[in-house]
Amino acid sequence: MSKKKGYVIPCSGIGKVFGSIGRETAYIVVNELAKDKADLECLPLIVKGKKEVIEALKENKIISIDGCPLKCSYNNIMDKVGRVDAQFMTTDIVKENRDLKPEPYIIPIGENTKELSKKLAEKVAEKINELLENKVEVE
Amino acid sequence: MKKKVGIIACSGEKLLGGTLSRAAARIVVKKLKPHDTIVLCQPLFAAGGLERHGGQQERNFAKEHPTITIEGCEELCSKIAVERYSGPVAATIRVDEIMKAHPEFKPKSREDLGKDGLKLAEIIAEEIAKKVDELDKQR
Repeated sequence: MSKKKGYVIPCSGIGKVFGSIGRETAYIVVNELAKDKADLECLPLIVKGKKEVIEALKENKIISIDGCPLKCSYNNIMDKVGRVDAQFMTTDIVKENRDLKPEPYIIPIGENTKELSKKLAEKVAEKINELLENKVEVE
Repeated sequence: MKKKVGIIACSGEKLLGGTLSRAAARIVVKKLKPHDTIVLCQPLFAAGGLERHGGQQERNFAKEHPTITIEGCEELCSKIAVERYSGPVAATIRVDEIMKAHPEFKPKSREDLGKDGLKLAEIIAEEIAKKVDELDKQR
């Protein structure tokens, strides 16, 4: 069995609910769906270039989750680590589930936002399994 | 016309302090000082390919306006990012220090602050609001 982990790095967006979906998704993945295979790291620490964090990411699989087209998570990881193994946009899960309109408030997040996060977390967890089993090509 | 103050939360996804910094920033810009403050995104400061990804706008704002950073831990990611790309910050709030000063409030977790955590976020937000007032008097 692979000892590598999948690092899930959500963007740090705090202005809109799409950033919250990314964070909630990451928590569901690392706490429930893939808790032995996934871990979380602070995006600001990656941006800062913390050596131990960058080294850990280089040695493992990296999944970015972004909430807007600026793609802070993806772009900053590419800038600091040079590689992202899979990327997700929270806006995609919203588009795929038109019946689940995310609530505009984010503290605390609403029920639809939670549900959307669960759906995205399932996709992220599935991708981590694929990556750790080397079933997919690295981007 | 009065210049707005930029509020930059560390937002670290891995830590309780990051969640508190994010919640406090939201309380300041939405409730306590909606006309005097604006949230800036920490990772955007260093987003790769700034011209394409929008980070320059954040950097320019922080060059021309006073900024208050909210730090979830001793790494001071937000302060370092602002000083690296825009200039000195007007003030820094340490969430970990405020937590130590208020042991009576025990936040539930990084995922869910709970009642105590939200109370603590309000206390942090009030500290930030005081700094905004101080900066206003100095101008």
